[in-house]
Amino acid sequence: MRKILLLVLALVPVLASAQGFQVNLEGEKQIGMGHTGVGLVQDGASAFFNPGAMVQLSDNYVQAGISPLMFKSAFNLAGTADVYHTADKVAPPFTFYAALGPKNSWWKVGMAVYTPFGGLTDWGDTWPGKYSSESLNLKAFFFQPTVSIKLADFVSIGGGFVYNHATVDLTQAIPLVNSSGQVGQAELKGKGKGFGWNAGIYFKTKSGITIGIAHRSQVSTNLDNGNAIFQVPASLQAAFPQPNTFNSTITLPATNSIGFGFYPCKEWTLALDVNLVGWNVYKALAFDYKINTPQLQDTYSPRNYQDAVTFRGGAQYKANGKLAIRFGGGYASAAAPDGYVTPEVPDAKRYYLTGGLGYKIADHLDLDVAFEFEHLFSRTQTNYATQLSGTFVSDVYIPGLSLAYHW
Amino acid sequence: MTMKNLKHYICIVAGLTLLSSCKPNIDTPKPSKGSADFSRYIAVGNSLTAGYADGGLYLAGQQNSYPSIIAKQMQAVGGGAFTQPLFSADQANGSGYLTLAGFNADGTPITAPVTSNLAVRGQIAIPGFGNVTLYTKYTGEINNYGVPGIKLEQITYAPYGNLNGYYERLLPNPSPTNNTAYIDFVTAKPFTFFSNWLGNNDALSYATSGGAGDVLTDKALFGQLYAYAIGRLTATGAKGVVATVPDVTAVPYFNTVTTTAILAGVQKANPSVQAIFINALVSGNTYAPRAATAKDLMVLTFPTSKIGQPVSTPYGPLPYGLTPYTPIDNQYVLDEKEVALTEDYISSYNITIKAVAASKGLAVFDAYTFLNNIKKNGLVVDGVGINSGYISGGLFSLDGIHLTPRGYAIVANGFIQAINAKYGSSIPLVNVSDYNGVKFP
Repeated sequence: MRKILLLVLALVPVLASAQGFQVNLEGEKQIGMGHTGVGLVQDGASAFFNPGAMVQLSDNYVQAGISPLMFKSAFNLAGTADVYHTADKVAPPFTFYAALGPKNSWWKVGMAVYTPFGGLTDWGDTWPGKYSSESLNLKAFFFQPTVSIKLADFVSIGGGFVYNHATVDLTQAIPLVNSSGQVGQAELKGKGKGFGWNAGIYFKTKSGITIGIAHRSQVSTNLDNGNAIFQVPASLQAAFPQPNTFNSTITLPATNSIGFGFYPCKEWTLALDVNLVGWNVYKALAFDYKINTPQLQDTYSPRNYQDAVTFRGGAQYKANGKLAIRFGGGYASAAAPDGYVTPEVPDAKRYYLTGGLGYKIADHLDLDVAFEFEHLFSRTQTNYATQLSGTFVSDVYIPGLSLAYHW
Repeated sequence: MTMKNLKHYICIVAGLTLLSSCKPNIDTPKPSKGSADFSRYIAVGNSLTAGYADGGLYLAGQQNSYPSIIAKQMQAVGGGAFTQPLFSADQANGSGYLTLAGFNADGTPITAPVTSNLAVRGQIAIPGFGNVTLYTKYTGEINNYGVPGIKLEQITYAPYGNLNGYYERLLPNPSPTNNTAYIDFVTAKPFTFFSNWLGNNDALSYATSGGAGDVLTDKALFGQLYAYAIGRLTATGAKGVVATVPDVTAVPYFNTVTTTAILAGVQKANPSVQAIFINALVSGNTYAPRAATAKDLMVLTFPTSKIGQPVSTPYGPLPYGLTPYTPIDNQYVLDEKEVALTEDYISSYNITIKAVAASKGLAVFDAYTFLNNIKKNGLVVDGVGINSGYISGGLFSLDGIHLTPRGYAIVANGFIQAINAKYGSSIPLVNVSDYNGVKFP
């Protein structure tokens, strides 16, 4: 059994990827319960949800999970009956958590690796929005060493340091056509890094209700010396010098969360979380090219995102010593305001429904599976900058699986 | 254990495959023809209607004509077949046209004519008129009656088919034996819907010749003929859309070579030069030389190399364009007063067009306002910035007057929106991003 576990863990870095600008797939138990987990103590994923709760784990944990994510977006160009779809692509956000310490001690240390932000949309090079976006592949990998300390039996705190390694690959068409009818292509491809932290506090109240409050800081991520690749007609290539590089900064927003756990009877756990995501830091997407020409100026595309709120609820029913059944759901407001919705992130308010099963396959080994369906409400938009006008609808399907070894 | 794992694996893969076949549902509007009938649509007009571009009429341009784009969109709401008098594949280059060959070191474009695979079949000298280039005859169904060069003034003139090679190629007989007026030709076969964009050349021919080689069509005559044309087109109950005459000064043909640029070029070599001189309209037919201002418009085809060349005068040889005795020829300049005159006529034509359309309940695409807005503010369509600049603007083709495929697609959407608004139809708009601007080598 241990062999299988190691196999899964070994595969994870290879499959690492992310999806949807903020990706809320940080633990299969939590996904099953509608992404709740700030006010609960479930497993090593507490390092992400609320480091303050990590020390409350009775066991040590090493766990890994993967949530292959299919983001499917459709676009109806205004005034037409034409519908365009994103290509079928699977992004597998993954998690790895370790939470370790002496049994029943006042401390635990942990390591968390997860993919809280990302995007994978591929509209292709023939759709009406090709001059806005053809494809985006953004991945942010967070590495977070974490410490959790029990101050008293009923209260504990914790915090972690975040290192973000990000990659971005953005393509769009350039409206310059050569004599054989091919339009120009731009590709911006780079790597970046950023730093941040998270912290949380966890209470057990006398009434039995548990409460968690957590903060994940914003992570300003610098992309330096990325490749700026421009393919244009030969007579214009001098205006788009090659090779060229770009710098950019993407600020990933902070999240404030509060979560509650209720335990009406032995078999049931109910959870409620509210998240406030500080999207207003995402003011613009700007690219600074190393070599500028009159035709190739630095770009500054306003995004003007607004803070967004998510309400989450979930429940777990322990059918017996081996099997747990979970379900939940949530609602999230949109971060992109009207006029700033872009095809690479067709943001909209959304709801989601989740379900999951936990099964104890061996004494120290939990297998958890979850499934999520997310629906982004239809949103009819004319982008201020590009005047791309039409309706976006998106559905997201996310099955997931994790193994947790605990002792 | 292994078998069981394999089964699980198959299950997971099957599940994922199933999921990946789901697509989000999106409700799209149901196309409707409203109160119009698009079963036989005909397009009446001049070069813009024919798909003329880059200084010529050629197959690729014809295939991108705005009527053909509209007709394709009409098919969603009961539109019928739309046949254009296309040049054959062997003679795809039609009249010949300009291509962009590259750029000079100073960034000015170099154009080159296409002279192979033409559809020219000969030339005929018409007494009292001049030479007419004749093109390979087209026989067969016609829905697009666009004839490059035709003025509204000429639609009732029976011998016109002998004077315009583009019209002659549509007619059964060879020049000079034709005797079919254009308005009779286009209305000969029943139709249910029409577009009419005639009238541009009544002002444009005057303007492009610098006010020297042609005259503006009389306003009253224009009114009379426009009413007559629409009367004929609506006589059998057809509905339609008409377009106003664009402000000819909104096109790059008049805004690319500027007085300021010429003067700056001269001053680089000779800083003492203070002005360039033109032969400008005083009143009536009286012209007198004066210093040019930014309000005088030079035509795109003005050979700027002429500037400063010695011209013999009674006062000895003097540099061309730089003295009052050697002004730039009238044909190269639409001077301030000529501009005002042209604009006055166009504004009168457009009042006529809108009034006649209103009296017959026709849809109007106000090309005048539309193109002037683009000149003033630019336009962004599906992430593509468009303006009235020559070549870089993406709207106008290499001749600086006619449109690029992208320009024609945008105009087609203008027509479609006007039709939909008038007749309550919902002809789908065309996806402009499928159409390109000027081709670069």
